[in-house]
Amino acid sequence: MPVDKHANMEEKLWILEDLNMMYIRQIALSLQDSDIQKKIDHEIRMRDGACKLLAACSQKDQALEAAKSLQTCSTRIMAYMSELQRMKEAQVMQKVTRRSSDAGPMGDRLPCKGKVAISDLRIPLMWKDTEYFKNKGELHRCAVFCLLQLGEEIFDTDMVIVDRTLTDICFDNTIVFSEASPGFELRVELYSCCSEDDYSAGSTPRKLASKLSSSLGRSAGKKLRAAMEPGPCSPVSNGGGAPLLLPVPSVPGPKYHLLAHTTLSLSHVQDSFRTHDLIISGNEECSYWLPLYGSMCCRLAAQPHCMTQQMMSGCLKVKQQCGGDPQSWTKVHAVLKGTNLFCYYRQEDVEANVEPAFTIGINKETRIRASEKDPLSKVQNICISNHYGGEEVTHTVTTDSREETHRWMEAFWQHFYDMSQWKQCCDDLMKIELPSPRKPAPITPKQGSLYHEMVIESSDDLSSNVSDILARRMQELELRSQLGTSPTWMSAFEESNARCTGRSRHCTRMSGHSPCTPHRLPRSPVSPHRCPQLGLLSSDASLTSDSDSHCSTSPCSHHHGWPEPTSSYSLLSSSPSRLRPRTLSLDAKLSTLRGRGYGGGGTFQCSCQPPPSSLLAPLPISSRSPRSKHSTQTTLSCSSSTSSNSSSNSEGSHSPESSEGGPFSRPSPARRSLRNLRARLDPRNWLQSQV
Amino acid sequence: MSFVPGQPVTAVVERVEIQKLRQGENLILGFSIGGGIDQDPGQNPFSEDKSDKGIYVTRISPKGPADLAGLKMGDKIMQVNGWDMTMVTHDQARKKLTKKREDVVRLLVTRKSLEEAVKHSKCSYPKH
Repeated sequence: MPVDKHANMEEKLWILEDLNMMYIRQIALSLQDSDIQKKIDHEIRMRDGACKLLAACSQKDQALEAAKSLQTCSTRIMAYMSELQRMKEAQVMQKVTRRSSDAGPMGDRLPCKGKVAISDLRIPLMWKDTEYFKNKGELHRCAVFCLLQLGEEIFDTDMVIVDRTLTDICFDNTIVFSEASPGFELRVELYSCCSEDDYSAGSTPRKLASKLSSSLGRSAGKKLRAAMEPGPCSPVSNGGGAPLLLPVPSVPGPKYHLLAHTTLSLSHVQDSFRTHDLIISGNEECSYWLPLYGSMCCRLAAQPHCMTQQMMSGCLKVKQQCGGDPQSWTKVHAVLKGTNLFCYYRQEDVEANVEPAFTIGINKETRIRASEKDPLSKVQNICISNHYGGEEVTHTVTTDSREETHRWMEAFWQHFYDMSQWKQCCDDLMKIELPSPRKPAPITPKQGSLYHEMVIESSDDLSSNVSDILARRMQELELRSQLGTSPTWMSAFEESNARCTGRSRHCTRMSGHSPCTPHRLPRSPVSPHRCPQLGLLSSDASLTSDSDSHCSTSPCSHHHGWPEPTSSYSLLSSSPSRLRPRTLSLDAKLSTLRGRGYGGGGTFQCSCQPPPSSLLAPLPISSRSPRSKHSTQTTLSCSSSTSSNSSSNSEGSHSPESSEGGPFSRPSPARRSLRNLRARLDPRNWLQSQV
Repeated sequence: MSFVPGQPVTAVVERVEIQKLRQGENLILGFSIGGGIDQDPGQNPFSEDKSDKGIYVTRISPKGPADLAGLKMGDKIMQVNGWDMTMVTHDQARKKLTKKREDVVRLLVTRKSLEEAVKHSKCSYPKH
């Protein structure tokens, strides 16, 4: 029976795991290295915890994070195990060959270690034109993260959810590996996991899943089936090479698959961003597939210890350069660090951060040799020669004893060897920014379009529905305003709230504008009657201004029509029943708003100096006509309030209804306001942002 | 400045270095941008080629940092601090300009008058 077989298999796996653990412990014991043992135990505990969490959690995000930790722990365990095996092998080899452990001076010189940091990982994606711009169909989402492995250290980046609205996968983490040798190999692996809400892999029983997959459409069914089975791309069989000492427990839940990988080494290190090629595994059929461009950008920097630490320090005697008395040696405390030999007068100066007395450059061009023995002191001198712009400058240093001289020579040789091994990293010190412990960035809501969030049931109280949604969105986005980058339409709320209080204008003002807007008039008297319906009339208030208004013909001082209509919505919550008299010209208000100045980065929709651009694409007007500005307001004002506003300076050129689709059609105020909102947020508009 | 897919884009550019101005909590540059690969290029009033999806300067605040640095309305921004601006979305462009940690932005901008100037200077010298 299949169930029994399954149980049997599981049991066998557990037994195998126990045996492996015993084997590992034996090895560790024999090596008398409890360090790795502890690390392995720690990782196994973490992995068990992750498994339990995965089984217990219900939220998709939690499950993805737990699966990520699981993947990281498994990889770490495998790395430690391979390391353990290697050490055991080395030990055995040593016993066999009976080699002495300390090598001769010139025999096995080891280069110094260093810090390697990788940061600002960016992987571009290559969506199809239709997918990206048209944004049609359901959003296929994947959760991705990177595993970075150098020697024994394995780090993972944060998880990023990727869908087709993103052009690149960006990981902001900076990962620093502390002990890397110059021949390091930094392996970067990109794991991804399909994160569809509809298909919760692992929870659907097999039979049902196959039935579903056959009844769904071909592509959807394929995806579902791929998500269900581990397939050839299971995490168990990744990496190759290392034998599977500890089988990965199969836990229901999201599984990450290897999507791409690459290996970086010393030749890729540079103090700026570089692009590297990725080797992509998997194909379009896999559920976790993402269209990768095939390359990866990152900044790989290295700081060898010879550049950052004091390699050698001690007392030296330096012969004075300015000729004269050959006996005049200056006693200094010298420190060999980086590409310089710093000479301080006193040892205390080093800690005190005082400027060194003088500095002798020690770089790849320097030549150091020991000269013949000084007849008086029987100690060899060391000559350090540098080329400073064509001139050869030689410093002669010596020490008190032969052993000291020998030690200094040894230090210089080691330094040169390090520099030859670390190559370009020793030219200049590369900066490595340590990630400062700071609060995690406020969680920004995912960048979907408002359409996805707006659930509009056809009800009479549509406007309040809309205002609720908008208010909620506003609250969510308050976090973002910390960064000074609130979306441009946020300005609508901020301004309108400031503006709309305590204004009262008389309807008589309207008459002043009537010549300009003849076709407005028929609708103007309607306002009082419409008041109870939706309170949209309060939008009038938004369009008041405190300066004299007239049929302004200046197209320049315009905001885009954005603030106006939405202000109506925000007002709804505050004063739904207050009847606002007719408004003034929109220009006037806008001119005062403009006078307010910058108002912080990114919060204004700036006005466009001539030629202005139309905001609403649906308008059948050429976008480049200067009239378009007016028509914009026309449309918005008419849709936001049934009473006509003098804010429109259309000069009779465009019928506002034309924007609503069909002349003389009067959709209900609710639908108009909704349409207005949609039009404003329509990606087809030409956005402008102030920076 | 038309763009042929697959071919490198060449343009005569001018370097503009703008020091950000601190206004309260924000660092502002004093200009506005429009465009982006996610925007409709047909509505760009400044572009010559109506399929150009680049980032254009649509407004300069008078006496603002951008104005003082010599940025002009209608300029197309090619690079910001080394980041390419010819193939970015509107939001990406805005983000590259408004990084809080940087208080200087170095732009490479191009405009029609630059091309003209180079052309004229080429023509005025007779070929040998």
